[in-house]
Amino acid sequence: MRRRVLVAVSTLAVITTISACGSSDDGNSGGTSGGKKSLTLIQGTKADEFYVTMACGAQAAAQSLGVNLDVTGPEKFDAGQQVPIVNSVTAKKPDAVLIAPTDTKALIPPMTQMKSAGIKIVEVDTAVEDNSLSVAAISTDNLGGGTLAAQTLVKLVGGKGSVLVINVNPGISTTDARAKGFDDEIKKTSGITALPVEYTNDEPAKAAAIVSATLSKHPDLAGIFATNVLTAEGAATGLRAAGKQDQVKIVGFDAGPQQIQDLKSGVVQALIAQDPYGIGQKGVQTAVDALAGKDVQKQIQTELFAITKDNVDSPDAQKFIYKDKC
Amino acid sequence: MTTLSESGDGDAGQRTGTGLLQARGVVKHYGRVQALRGVDFTVLPGEVVALIGDNGAGKSTLVKILSGAVAPDSGEILLDGAPVQLASPLAAQRLGIETVYQDLALANDLDPAANLFLGRELLRPGPLRWLGVLDNRTMRRRSRDSFAELGIGLQDRSVRLGSLSGGQRQSVAVARAVSWASRVVFMDEPTAALGVVQTRRVLDLIRRVRDRGVSVVLISHNMPEVLAVSDRVEVLRLGRRVAQIRTAGATVEQLVGAMTGALDAGTGAAEGGEPEAGPAEGEELR
Amino acid sequence: MTELITPGLAEADTDADSRPSTVLSRLGALSTLWIFLVLVGLVIAFSLLAPGKFLTAFNIRSIAADSVAILLLLAVGMTFVIITAGIDLSVGSVLIFSGVIAGKAMVALGGTDLGWGGITLGALAGMGAGLAWGILNGLLIAKARIPPLIVTLGSLGAALGAAQIITGGVDVRNIPLKLTVKLGIGQFAGVPWIVWISALVTVVFGLVLAFTRFGRYTYAIGSNAEAARRVGIRVDRHLIKVYALTGLLAGLAGVLNLARFSTTTIGGHSTDNLSAIAAVVLGGTSLFGGVGTIFGTVVGIFVPAVLQNGFVILGVQSYWQSVAVGAVLVAAVYFDQWRRRAREST
Repeated sequence: MRRRVLVAVSTLAVITTISACGSSDDGNSGGTSGGKKSLTLIQGTKADEFYVTMACGAQAAAQSLGVNLDVTGPEKFDAGQQVPIVNSVTAKKPDAVLIAPTDTKALIPPMTQMKSAGIKIVEVDTAVEDNSLSVAAISTDNLGGGTLAAQTLVKLVGGKGSVLVINVNPGISTTDARAKGFDDEIKKTSGITALPVEYTNDEPAKAAAIVSATLSKHPDLAGIFATNVLTAEGAATGLRAAGKQDQVKIVGFDAGPQQIQDLKSGVVQALIAQDPYGIGQKGVQTAVDALAGKDVQKQIQTELFAITKDNVDSPDAQKFIYKDKC
Repeated sequence: MTTLSESGDGDAGQRTGTGLLQARGVVKHYGRVQALRGVDFTVLPGEVVALIGDNGAGKSTLVKILSGAVAPDSGEILLDGAPVQLASPLAAQRLGIETVYQDLALANDLDPAANLFLGRELLRPGPLRWLGVLDNRTMRRRSRDSFAELGIGLQDRSVRLGSLSGGQRQSVAVARAVSWASRVVFMDEPTAALGVVQTRRVLDLIRRVRDRGVSVVLISHNMPEVLAVSDRVEVLRLGRRVAQIRTAGATVEQLVGAMTGALDAGTGAAEGGEPEAGPAEGEELR
Repeated sequence: MTELITPGLAEADTDADSRPSTVLSRLGALSTLWIFLVLVGLVIAFSLLAPGKFLTAFNIRSIAADSVAILLLLAVGMTFVIITAGIDLSVGSVLIFSGVIAGKAMVALGGTDLGWGGITLGALAGMGAGLAWGILNGLLIAKARIPPLIVTLGSLGAALGAAQIITGGVDVRNIPLKLTVKLGIGQFAGVPWIVWISALVTVVFGLVLAFTRFGRYTYAIGSNAEAARRVGIRVDRHLIKVYALTGLLAGLAGVLNLARFSTTTIGGHSTDNLSAIAAVVLGGTSLFGGVGTIFGTVVGIFVPAVLQNGFVILGVQSYWQSVAVGAVLVAAVYFDQWRRRAREST
């Protein structure tokens, strides 16, 4: 036992000595001098096609602009998992970081530290409450997306019935805005009843369960608006399981490969597609501009497109379809 | 003699005339099975008495009752002639009765000293006692002394018990029982899994225990062993005592015969054997 | 070293079955030493591969505060539980539930502007909730004799479900600023407060496990519960205490989590139970009970944390981190099994 303690203490001594002689703490200068600039993209979650497409766009822009880009992200859309990654990236000292924060509040302290370390931050997709931390925030006009979704759904259900919004989690800037845009538009429309919003925690299984439960409770359910990819996936599964895919219309947000399949097979009737590829591209462009000292636009909004079975094969729609790998 | 326990009267057994520990007419059923049908049993002070009987004779049940693990349905248990209630193994332990179980009941991941003091740990004096801080040094010292007195050799006392041989573990189990016992130690098949050398060591240990004034009740299937180490033998058959035999001069055939009933229970043809009534009237067997 | 009183028993030392105990007793310490060397190796490797980035005060602080401090509280309790040959899968859910109770209490008492008095009350409420779940686990395991895996699987679902019912699935916000700013991200002497708290708790319970009767009974019950019963140890009572302790520590973890993220993170912590178990097992504690140390758990918890942090710094795809941790875990358990077989072959 004593020997073990001795080994432990001596090793700790070695480490402390190395770290003391090592670099300064809170690394203030960014990455490489001269050389290629290094950027890191921190996704909201690794597995979502939205973020995969964003990474593709970012990679493409990085390549054409001649900068290095690393991509990393948590396994779940969870602040608890994202924060350690953010701090690790700060320790890496890239020149700039693109980040999709998973919580409007919890990510403020680590992002503040990142800013103090001299790293330029560009928020992509989501944002935190403190907008002084980033040099720019690039996102979809989510409010407008919600409005577009509402209009599309109202047309699909023929102007009457109940509609349900299945959202992810409150506290996420993007999905909250979509839900709000949808809600405001529905309120203006007579003949349509809005059922109370449900949350899925970004789990498709939960979305499916919510759909089944709602169907039993409200047989007159005519339409569903699902506010992101995994939610739309789960909702479609729920409808298929209940055999109600003809009766209930879904408008999904985001257009991943599975959703396009569902669109083509008629499970989903419309998809409000964002432009994650464009967000990624613009994010990298903005970061590079900021690093070069140019003025950048603080808020940049990207477009949306409503894809239906009719227009899915058109080149306009194809631009907005998400990939599951680059 | 060093006992680790602070209570218990080591001299109790020296009083002549009464048995140290006695069972009288004890009955126990398990459902419809009659394990004990009014069994008697006597342990005298300062002796090694073997408890033998065929399978199903009731030996294990009797030992469990006398060590407090099981409650009898009826009958009496007497300690120094006075009736007692053995409500739990702890109650029995407080009266100076310890048991070495067949499975040893040792914690193989702890060291011998820890096992010796298991459940009876010594705490550091002063304020640390309130926090439950162990006094490992004293426990190690005292267990070293106990092992030494009993002639148990352990090369490395801070090693985990599981890495010792079967015989050494047996010795630790016996040492534990003996260190705390002030009256009787029950040993259930202590040499069953041991080799020749280890068996000899355990038997020597048993004799040493007796010589220190603590009686030993030895349950064994091994007749030569019984003859080698015990002073008396009590034989159970079908839940009753059928013979009490003085070991000196007895033969294996006599013992086996008593166990299986080949001998007539009433006539007690074995030398030194007594009829079923037993020494309840204070008769000395020595 | 051997005191033989009776001559003629000299064979005691050369008993053919007796193995040289020195080698094997060293092996006992070896598994923790081995994982410690693995950790040192990783630190050295990452320091060399990312000079000036990995081995900085900032980064070490981040690892300690983000990936270690809160999880370590769960792992300390888990160490006691696994040493008794039990398991507790509910720690992550109890953490969340406790955070919810604490959060709701603090919001009810004043919200963002609440003072330390109210914060303490809320924290105690949260820890009490954790303690309650622990006691429930303990009762079902010890008295109702239901296997720990099943009981804690049930409480894993029940605690999380209860948390979601109470909050409607919506994270609690408006956490008192004093808690999140001073405690959650604040520091003392250059070390984050939550690291201080976690370290203090770990040292205290490390001492308890190694030097007190409570710790001794924990090892005894894990080694041979029946033997413990027979010598008079109140096994049932002790098991309840062990699970209650784990619940209490999960409750504290929930409060610290609330402070750090200023929200209840209901969607997270779903694999914390497995991470805690991995840390405990990596540190040399045997899943079969009877063996283990808190020091080992501390080492074990740093290994995956350092791996994840190092991989992100190096830009390695994060999926490899999961593979690496999994491989190290399997190797550690295999080594433990091998060691056990060598020990028990007498």
